[in-house]
Amino acid sequence: MKPRFAFIVLITVLAVILAACAPTPPVEPAASPQAVDAATVEPIEPTSAPAEPLVLTDALGREVTLAQPAQKIVSTAPSNTEILFAVGAGDQVIARDDFTNFPEEAVNLPSIGGMSGFNLEAITAQQPDLVLMAEINTPEDVKALEELGITVFMLPNPTDLEGLYTNLINVGKMTNHETEAAALVEDLKIRVDAVTQVMANVETRPTVFYELDGSDPAKPWTSGTGTFIDLLIGMAGGQNAVSIDSPWVQLSLEELIVTDPDFILLGDSTWGGVTPEMVAERAGWDALSAVENEKVLPFNDDLVGRPGPRLVEGLEELARILHPELMK
Amino acid sequence: MLNVNDVCVSFSNNRILSDINLHVARGEVLGIIGPNGVGKSTLLRAISASIPLERGSVRVMGKDITGLTSNERARLMAVVPQARSLPPAFTGWETVILGRTPHISWLGHVSARDQEIARLAMQRTETLHLADRPICEMSGGEQQRLLLARALCQSAPVLMLDEPTTHLDLKYQYSLLDLVRRLAREDGLTIIITLHDLNLVSRYTDRVALLVNGRIDALDTPARVLNAGLLSRAYQLPLDVISDRHNGQAMIVPALR
Amino acid sequence: MQTKSAHRIYVLPLILLSLCLLGSVAVGSVFIAPGTLLGLFGARLSGKIIPADWQPYAAIVFNLRLPRTALIALTGAALSGSGAAYQGLFRNPLADPYLIGVASGAGLGAVLAMSIQWPYSIWGLLAVPVFSFLTAMVAVLAVYQLARVGKTLPVTNLILAGVAISSFTTALTSYLMISASGELRRALVWLLGGASHTGWQPVLAILPFVILGLGILASLGHALNVMQFGDEQAQQLGLPVNRVRWLVILAASLTTAAAVSFAGIIGFVGLIVPHTVRLIWGGDYRRLLPLSILNGATLLLCADILARLVLAPREVPVGIITALGGAPFFLWVLRRAKQQNFW
Repeated sequence: MKPRFAFIVLITVLAVILAACAPTPPVEPAASPQAVDAATVEPIEPTSAPAEPLVLTDALGREVTLAQPAQKIVSTAPSNTEILFAVGAGDQVIARDDFTNFPEEAVNLPSIGGMSGFNLEAITAQQPDLVLMAEINTPEDVKALEELGITVFMLPNPTDLEGLYTNLINVGKMTNHETEAAALVEDLKIRVDAVTQVMANVETRPTVFYELDGSDPAKPWTSGTGTFIDLLIGMAGGQNAVSIDSPWVQLSLEELIVTDPDFILLGDSTWGGVTPEMVAERAGWDALSAVENEKVLPFNDDLVGRPGPRLVEGLEELARILHPELMK
Repeated sequence: MLNVNDVCVSFSNNRILSDINLHVARGEVLGIIGPNGVGKSTLLRAISASIPLERGSVRVMGKDITGLTSNERARLMAVVPQARSLPPAFTGWETVILGRTPHISWLGHVSARDQEIARLAMQRTETLHLADRPICEMSGGEQQRLLLARALCQSAPVLMLDEPTTHLDLKYQYSLLDLVRRLAREDGLTIIITLHDLNLVSRYTDRVALLVNGRIDALDTPARVLNAGLLSRAYQLPLDVISDRHNGQAMIVPALR
Repeated sequence: MQTKSAHRIYVLPLILLSLCLLGSVAVGSVFIAPGTLLGLFGARLSGKIIPADWQPYAAIVFNLRLPRTALIALTGAALSGSGAAYQGLFRNPLADPYLIGVASGAGLGAVLAMSIQWPYSIWGLLAVPVFSFLTAMVAVLAVYQLARVGKTLPVTNLILAGVAISSFTTALTSYLMISASGELRRALVWLLGGASHTGWQPVLAILPFVILGLGILASLGHALNVMQFGDEQAQQLGLPVNRVRWLVILAASLTTAAAVSFAGIIGFVGLIVPHTVRLIWGGDYRRLLPLSILNGATLLLCADILARLVLAPREVPVGIITALGGAPFFLWVLRRAKQQNFW
């Protein structure tokens, strides 16, 4: 009897599972309907009368509708967290990703993953009305959340400051902080203009090698053209030491010596723990004039690597390093 | 029953066997003798289609075996190989029952009749006591007898044995060869057996082929083939044949100087 | 000799599998009370509407855990079944389902697909699994053609060709990962193995391949038994050796390629489960294959439960759990293997 019993147990379990798979019809109206319908669970009902719904297109070309400004937001990228807090929506953020480290209030929020995928259960349990994603997140994550009936918006990666301002305004709209967002954008523009005007007539443009990864000192990695780092260096009155069009460019030490940049900025000091002293000890690097002149400086990569409002701070920091006499 | 016509076998441009012609009748035991390394095992493998023929054909009951599927061939010919590198964890029973493979479905379902045939085969080869013992715990001789039992399960009309008396105690050598002879006489099997021990030849074979350098030097009754001249030339050693007048058995010994 | 109650050996594995299936649905980084669980299933089965405060739990159980459970169980079954079959085919205890190029081929396809920006649509999202499945099968086909000698398929050739193709595809994959460095993390996570795809789509996609492949393999138990005596004896016993070999490779490759296309390269399962099954239940492939299939599903479910719990709320890729748990386990098996011959 025993083998048959065990078999019956297994069949019963499987039957229950299969029966539970049958999708239920979605309930109307939904608080946050998706453009791609795959909802098998009824979404949350709105608590107040719906205002004019907000429709925006995100980075994946998806049309996302918010009937109401988002009140329970999950941020899955550190840049998004910074943007949300900067436009004043910090109180509406309920969870953040592993890599968020600014501002401090954000760090106190619970994390829902990010290093090896997101904890979808934890996100679902929180019942957010918006998950703000960035292009560093995968399309699979977007689809997974959509299928759970959660509204997802992926902010596009800006290629210039205008793109950043658009993102800020859009996030302001989504969180009912439009005026604050607009004010923030104005403030940022003033600060940017302050720098670019000063740098417009600069005579010399020091060359800058922005090190992204120096684990192999014979072949360090840097950023080529077309990135924000490249753009900001230019705006700060400097010149990128490399002009290859690629976000990640590897230079051999020989090429670096030939290029001989005026400044070496250590982007890998933030997450890689690289210091100017370590660089000075690298074999063969003493041939570089930047090392000799002690123009090897650590740089907070978060300021130029994240497509958020602190890019302007990064710009100002770069300007101060490259032209201290002009940035009193 | 079994016809081997003009068979030639080569391995990477080396001719191993040339112009092999053999005809074995039903119920007959053909012995194959010759110095080591001349191709005795290769001949068996060629006849059982384990290796490709360069030329010639092998027919069983008139059918060319190269045109048959493996399954059809296995129903016509059973081979008892030398007991080397057998999987150590298989028990005697598990090994022998595999001999029924040509007769059972590909799923391996074994009927009561199959089991009966296997049991009988093990009885005849005196291996029943090895049924639950794993191969790694058997002696070389026990493994050899087990392989014979397995071959018997194939219920094939042709049986080929490759030096089956290796590893066997004297007692088992004789009982195995007695069994082989009974299989030929009583069950009508067609049997080819390679032997390196010449002293067993005259008693246990009906005809014998002397294989030298890949060719058949002589093919006749033991009395005719086992003569000192032929053997000495074949084995490159002066030999004497001593015949026992009473029972016709021949003994081959090195010639006294 | 022949046990009539041979079916009795399936009792324990079936019970364990049922427990793990239930466990995988009941357990996760978010705690759901047993009462809620029963209530949810009850409501779903009887067609009642689920109350609002249970909505998130319903989403977690029915949209996340159930399909994931199914995917993991199928993957574990597929990898273990293929592993057992390859160990029989190659007569080598170190054979695993990735031996002749499936894993490295799949990895190349996945990374290739990740380095391209696809439109956000059904097909765009399926790009990675479809690519990895196709390249996996192409790799196996290449190995087969390289190893073939006329109509025969010598084992040594297969292994050598497998090594050659694997090296080649791995090199290409590594190069792609460096040049598409933005997708590096995504590629690494995929290569480490884990259910990054959610929903029922992956399950439905791989189900036909896994069922067909495992069905074929499970029916070849007797043939694999015969093959343990070597090609020559197997042929003499009436087995069409080359056809069997080709069939095993095809079925195992289909099954494995389907499994890894969504779940990534999960290691050790295909190696450890057949070993353990052999230790406990013996080496008869007619039983080894179905038992490996059942226990493989169970083992991977356990590993996945661990993966979700051990560093909660963070999730560890399942491949890391199987490797971490698999390595010492394998050493223990090895120690026992030295004491008895059971290959």
